[in-house]
Order: sequence, then structure tokens, then C-alpha cells
Amino acid sequence: MGGAHVPVKPKKLSGRRTGYKGKNRFAAEQLSLLSYLPEREICKFRVFQKEGFCKNTDLPEEMRGERGLVRFDKINSDKEVRSMSDYVVEMHDIVKTFGTVQAVKNGEFTLKKGEIHSLIGENGAGKSTMMKLLYGMYPINSGSVTIKGETVSALTPKIAIEHGIGMVHQEFMLVGGLSVLENIILGFEPKKGLRIDFDKARKEVQKYIDEYQMEVSLDRKVNQISVGEAQRVEIIKILMRGADTIILDEPTAVLTPQEAQNLFIILNNLKNSGKSIVFISHKLDEVMEISDRITVMRQGKYMGTVDKKDTSPKDLTKRMIGREVFLNIEKNYDRAGEVILDVQDVWIPSQKETSKIRGISFQVREGEIVGIAGIDGNGQSELVEAITGLRKVEQGKVFVCGQEVTNKKPKGIRKAGLAHIPEDRNKTGLDRAMTIQENLVSVTIDDPKYTRHGLLNGKAQEQFANEMIQAFDIRPTDPKLPTSALSGGNAQKVVVAREVSQHTKLLVASQPTRGVDIGAIEIIRNTLEKAKHEGCGVLLVSAELEEIMALSDRIIVMCEGRITGEMMASEANESSLGLLMMGGKSAGKEGVDK
Amino acid sequence: MSKFKDGFIRILLTMLLTFLIGAVLIVAIGESPITAYTALLKGAFVGKLNLGTTLASFTPLLLTSCAFVVAAQVGAFNVGVEGEVFLGGITAAYIGYKWTFLPKPLLLLACFAGAMVVAGLWAMIPAILRAYYNVNEVCTTILMNSVALYITSYLVSGPMSAGSANPQSPDVAVRLPQILKPSSVNVGIFIAIALVIAVIFMLYRTNMGYKFRMVGTNPNTADYAGINSKGIFIKAMVISGVLGGIAGAIEVLGVYGYFLNNFAMNLGSNGMLAALIVKSNVVATPFMAFFLAVLKSGAMGMQQATGIPKGLVDTITAIFIIIATMETLFDFLKKRKKEKPAVPAPKAEGGNGR
Repeated sequence: MGGAHVPVKPKKLSGRRTGYKGKNRFAAEQLSLLSYLPEREICKFRVFQKEGFCKNTDLPEEMRGERGLVRFDKINSDKEVRSMSDYVVEMHDIVKTFGTVQAVKNGEFTLKKGEIHSLIGENGAGKSTMMKLLYGMYPINSGSVTIKGETVSALTPKIAIEHGIGMVHQEFMLVGGLSVLENIILGFEPKKGLRIDFDKARKEVQKYIDEYQMEVSLDRKVNQISVGEAQRVEIIKILMRGADTIILDEPTAVLTPQEAQNLFIILNNLKNSGKSIVFISHKLDEVMEISDRITVMRQGKYMGTVDKKDTSPKDLTKRMIGREVFLNIEKNYDRAGEVILDVQDVWIPSQKETSKIRGISFQVREGEIVGIAGIDGNGQSELVEAITGLRKVEQGKVFVCGQEVTNKKPKGIRKAGLAHIPEDRNKTGLDRAMTIQENLVSVTIDDPKYTRHGLLNGKAQEQFANEMIQAFDIRPTDPKLPTSALSGGNAQKVVVAREVSQHTKLLVASQPTRGVDIGAIEIIRNTLEKAKHEGCGVLLVSAELEEIMALSDRIIVMCEGRITGEMMASEANESSLGLLMMGGKSAGKEGVDK
Repeated sequence: MSKFKDGFIRILLTMLLTFLIGAVLIVAIGESPITAYTALLKGAFVGKLNLGTTLASFTPLLLTSCAFVVAAQVGAFNVGVEGEVFLGGITAAYIGYKWTFLPKPLLLLACFAGAMVVAGLWAMIPAILRAYYNVNEVCTTILMNSVALYITSYLVSGPMSAGSANPQSPDVAVRLPQILKPSSVNVGIFIAIALVIAVIFMLYRTNMGYKFRMVGTNPNTADYAGINSKGIFIKAMVISGVLGGIAGAIEVLGVYGYFLNNFAMNLGSNGMLAALIVKSNVVATPFMAFFLAVLKSGAMGMQQATGIPKGLVDTITAIFIIIATMETLFDFLKKRKKEKPAVPAPKAEGGNGR
């Protein structure tokens, strides 16, 4: 446990506060000492507490007092020795689950004073979650958090702020209609009588602006300033609230390269003035540029912390996405036949800068799976929406089975031969207020099999639904249940069952196994594989590199709306793909080392 | 199915609570609640005239509430039913006294057809504005209600005036047969009931109803599945308008025999009320409409039989609505059910997020 057991100033203990009475109160009081104790002792205490009494004989000798009580003074005197630890933040053995999903499995994180510490990992690796836990946005399931030597149990954002932690979120928390100055002082305005003392506020804010060279124009409305400026406003806001530990959640995701450089200058200034900074990112070149130390996470697990000077992008990539075992599926790529999907120099608008599609061309042929790899938000969703008719194409053409479908409605594209497993089953794939049966026929409802003279054929629907429920092992098996009663995996099976049963020439599968259990993953992957063998052309988009590697015959890598690489799956390996996903120039073995 | 059952239990409990509060008010006035409520029920049901009056006020409510529900199925909040009733009514009246060259049965059909077309087109305007230009249909329909009201007012006091002291149109040449005379109830009630049944059938047994429901609960999914959500939205609004128009035609042809200025005042909003109380549940809405009609017509009987002013019934209606909209009021029933099995469950030793 290393330096985890740093004692704190003992607070006045009271039974009322702990909510226990009598004997239990005593135990509770003793227990609340646990925060000062090493893990080993805590475990012992827990055992005693369960048995209903409390002894001190298991305490370190110097802490034993008379009548079985703990000697607070000893603990106090211990404090100086232990607070020598040079970590501002320590997080150990962090576990966090959301429902059945384990977002963080064994989180470890330490932050030294005055360093820039990058936390990197793929999407869903748990890096943002770790920092949100530190900021107290979610309760922690288990594990310990120590801030400046004080072990904090129930963290809330308020407590975190009191401990000097500030966080710049991916979505800025600013009021658009107010000026920059008003936003900065919102919530703790300096008062002069009943009025806000704007002069004083301005002076204070100006101090920070000068100190860290953060250019902001205080009098402009927030909705008129650039993203980069809004970010600086957020940083000032945090500094004004007395933060010395600043967490930035993917700060460069929304910035242009120039703005990012600007941010790095500010971060270095902050670091030089003794602030500690956590930098969450998945862009390796930035991480290599700015960090002192780097912690890698993968699928909720801690993959190690390294000094920047001891590592390389290649090494980091391996830690981020490297896996030991792969499903080896026999690939018979020679069978690839006619072109099913032909995307010709397509440009697609998007609200986010990084997900605008800027001229993409590729083809999918009969009997092959083409995987599109890339970090989420680099235009994959937009591309899929455009192909399937849910988003307008600005320029370029899309052909399905030789038929031009550019900017056609979904119905027309489906007629041309499209089936589509959308990335979000809740928003798009399913109508969760409707039943399994109704959802299974939603794309074929106009088929004469299900509608005759405008009347629904309930029997045919039910029969089809029962077939699908059997074939895909959808549970529960009652076709009349609303899909809101289904788990993620089963809901996704409904979507997959419906789309695959269309037996179309083209199947676009976007994140087909996101957020589903392993059993469902297996069924869904086998289904895609089967569809391919039956001559279907599959376009697979997934943020899971492992899935892309396991299923695809050809792999296309996308970054910031462009194709950064295309290769046969047999030639691909994780590190080459990883580099391309980060925008690396080539699949070469050298990587992007500077 | 248990959802429907729960809903009905809720309504019953709500009614009970309302009448209890009402009883307290009646006691405060110094009357006996029992005699008051008996008088209310008598006023609503006993005797040909009383029963007829109840049914006569039930008929338009049934249609307007149903019209609101149809629009609500696709997620539209159609406040404009009232305007559609006015325009349907005026069209039926116009055709009814102008097109006398037609044989009577045909004339009757023409009246209805005209009312349906005009009201449907009227409802199409806010629907198109919403679907293609994202103009909030609540605003447009509220505004268009006033427009419809003033159009009809102008017509019956000007070009279509009967020349009498009241602003009204000339008598129509064809009437819906009345039943339960001397009340104003007419065969329109059967038309209304048939239409409501048809709407329920349409929603749950036809292709169009399927699409309505999908567009209402998740328009994204509808678009993704190749259903034109905008087109469906407009269709539902038009059907809603058509139902409103039929209500207007029934009132004109069945109850009045001419178009009386302002006749549909509050018909639309009361229908909306009936639908909103049961959250636009298409099966429960007719019952709600009936309940409101009973309260309305029973109030007069109560005022005559006791010293309680008719206004008290409005108070009771208001209390009813307030209680009905307190969504969590009766949740304690559910909670108690759920808590029981939860008690013996052992406390989790961490590892449980919430």
C-alpha cells in the first residue's frame, strides 16, 4: 500500500454523527479512525466491527492506550512522519461500476506536486471516470482516495473543491448569455453592499490573466468567444476557486492545433507556479509533448505509470491497446466479389470539427468485412449516417449495389440493399416503448406479409418474432414484452436479428457490440461472420480495435474525418493501427517518435 | 394490461378523494354532502331529459378528446381542436342551408364531408409548420383557435347571417334525428362512439396506427426504419382535425340545426382536459370525457335540488384535475408492495454502486 496510510488531523468524533448508539457507537468511533490506519489494520477492524465489539490489540503498539482505547496523540505524532509523502493525490484500488458495467476495475493514480501527469487510454478505458471520481462526481464503490495526505471517504465536488481540486470538463459549464467576467465570478461574487463589486472582481481576474498569460476578453458574452477562449475561462474559474490541482478532460479534443499549443504554454506556466495538472487524452503526440509522467489505462484496468523520458509512443500504444490473444477466424478474402458499397469522395458536415468528413472514398465488396477503425468521434458516426440516409452528404456520391443513393431517404437505400445496425440502439435502433415483436418488424412493416389492406397481421408478426427469438436466443422470450424490459445485450440482439434477417447485400454494422455482455458479443460476431459467408458485404465500424482485428478482412483507419490508412487485416497489427488512429502518418515501424 | 388496470384504479382513487374533499366543502356551506351528491347523480341520470342532457354534452367531448389523443400519439399537442370544431360546424351549416338541391341523405353526407375537409386542412397548417419549419404547434394552434372563432363570428353576423337578433346562420335543411326528446341528444352520439372505436382499432391494429405510435415514442427510430416521420406527423394532425370537424358538424346538425355563434366555446379545451388527465391513454379517455359530462350536467340538478351553487361542481372538477395530475400521490401503494420483499435482503458489503 506504500504511502497510502497518511493520517489526518483527527476530527472530533461523535456517536451522533456516525449514527450509532451504545456499544456500536464505540465501535463506530473507533472505526472512524480507520482513515488514519494502514489497509491491514482496517481489515482487522472490520472483522471486529462485524462481531460487535472492538479491540485495540491489533493496533501498532505505540497507538494502544489504556482501557483498550486508541491513543490519538500517538496518531497525531505519527502524522509528521507520514505526510512526508510527496503526492498531492493518491488513488488506490479504485473500483467503479455503473449498473453491470465495470468502468474502473483497479484504478491506480498518483499525482506529484508541480507535475503534468497524463492519463491515457482508449475510449471507455475509464480515464475520465477515474478523474470524475476524484472530483467527487460519482461515489466510489471501493478503494481509497488521499488528497494532500488526507484520506477522503465520501467525496463530493464540494469537498473536492475544498481540497483544491478543479476540473475542466469536456462540455464547458458556462452560461452563454453572461459575460466572461460574470461567468468567472458566478457563485462567489465579491459584494459591495447589495451590489456585485465588479471592479474588485476584475482586478482579481486580471491577476490570473497576467500571471499565466491567458488571453481572455472579460466583457464579451460567452457565446461569442471561441472554444479555446472558453476553455481558458474555465481554467481561470477553477483558479479563482483556489484550485491547485487541475484536471483537464480531453482538453485538446475541441481545439485547433494552434489553440492546443497555446493551451500547452498555459499549462506549463501553471506547472511552473507549482500547480499540479492531470491531462486526459488519447493523442499520443500531445501526451509526449506535455507530460512529465504518463499513466495508461485499458478497459478499466491500470496498465502502469511511466516517466516520459522512459517511454515512446510505440510503447504507450502497446500498453493502451495491446492484447495477447486474438480470435483467429478463417478469412477467405479471395471470395470477395462485386462492389456492393462504393463511397466516392464524400464530404459530410458535422457540428464537431474533428468529425467532419473530408473526402473519403472506399469500397466494400461481396463476401468481405471491411472494418473501420478509429477513435470515437473522428467521423465514423457521420460516415455511417450518411451512407444509411440519416445525414446529408455535402459533396461526393454513394452507391449501393450500383444504384446511386446519395442523400436518398432511408427507405430508398434499404430498397437498394441496405441493412443497418445503428450505433445507438436506444435512440435509433429500437423504439423502447414498443414490444419486441413490433420492433422486429419495424423496417418491414409495409411488407404485404405484415400489412394487408392497411391492417396489421399480428399472427405473421408473432410467428416471425418467435423465430427470431429462438434463432438469436433473445430473453425474455415473450414477443409481446416492451423492449424496455430487455437488457442491453438482448436489445441489441433484436436489432441484429431484424437487420440480418433482411438478407440484404450490404450490412452496415456500427458499434454492434457496444455495451453488451460477452454471450451477446459472441452471437453477434458469429452472425456477422455468417452474413459474410452468405455473400453479404459488411461494413463494420467499431471503437474496439480487437473487434476490428478479429472480424475484418480489410481495415480502414480513420482520424479526424480522413482515411489515414488502409490495409489487409493480415498485414495489420495493433501498434500500426494504433498509430494511424492517433493520426500517425504511416503504418511504418518507426512510429511518430520525435 | 396491468398498466391499464393500474390506471383505472388510480382514477377511481382520485375520484374518491375528490368527492371527499368536495364533501368537506359542501359541509362548510352547511348542506349535507349525501343529498348533494344524490342530487348530482339524479341530475345527471334520472329522467329522460337529464340523461339526454348528459349524453348530449358527452358527444362532442368524446370526439374532441379523441381528436386530442390522436395528435398526442405522434407527440403533437393539438390545442387547436376547438378551432376545428368551429370550422367544421360552419362548413356543415353552410352546406346544410345552401346545397338544398341535393337529396337529403346526400346533403347530410355532404355536410359531414365538407366539415371533415375544412377542419382537416385547417389542422394541416400547424402540422406542416411544425414538421418542416419546426414552429411549435402549441403556439400556432392556440393562435389559430382565435382566428377560427373570429372567422365564424364574422360569417354568422355578416354573409351567413340568418337576419335574426342572435348572430346565427339560417336553419339547415337536414338534421340528425334526435333521440330521448326533449333533450338535444341525437344519433350523433352513435357516430361519435363508432369513431372512437375506429380510432382505437386504427391505433393498435393497422399499419398507420403502428407508424403513429412509433413516430410518437421515437421519431428517430421511425426515420431510421424508413418511416417518414414528418408525413406521419401531418397525417395524425389531419385526422385529429377531421375528428374535431365531425364534432362541429354533429353539434350543428344534431343539436342546434343552425350555426350559433360561439357554440363550441370550451369544447376543445374540455376534451383536451379529459385526454390529459389520463395522459392521452386512448382507452381511458372516453371514460374521462363521460365523467366530465356527468359532472357538468349533474351540476344543474344539484343546484336546483339543494342550495349549493353550480359553481361548486367547477371547484370539484378543478380539485379532480389537480389530484389527477399529482403523479406520485398514489405511488405509496406501489412502494409498499415493492418494499416488502426488499426488507429481508441482506445489506450489501460495498461493491454496489447505488
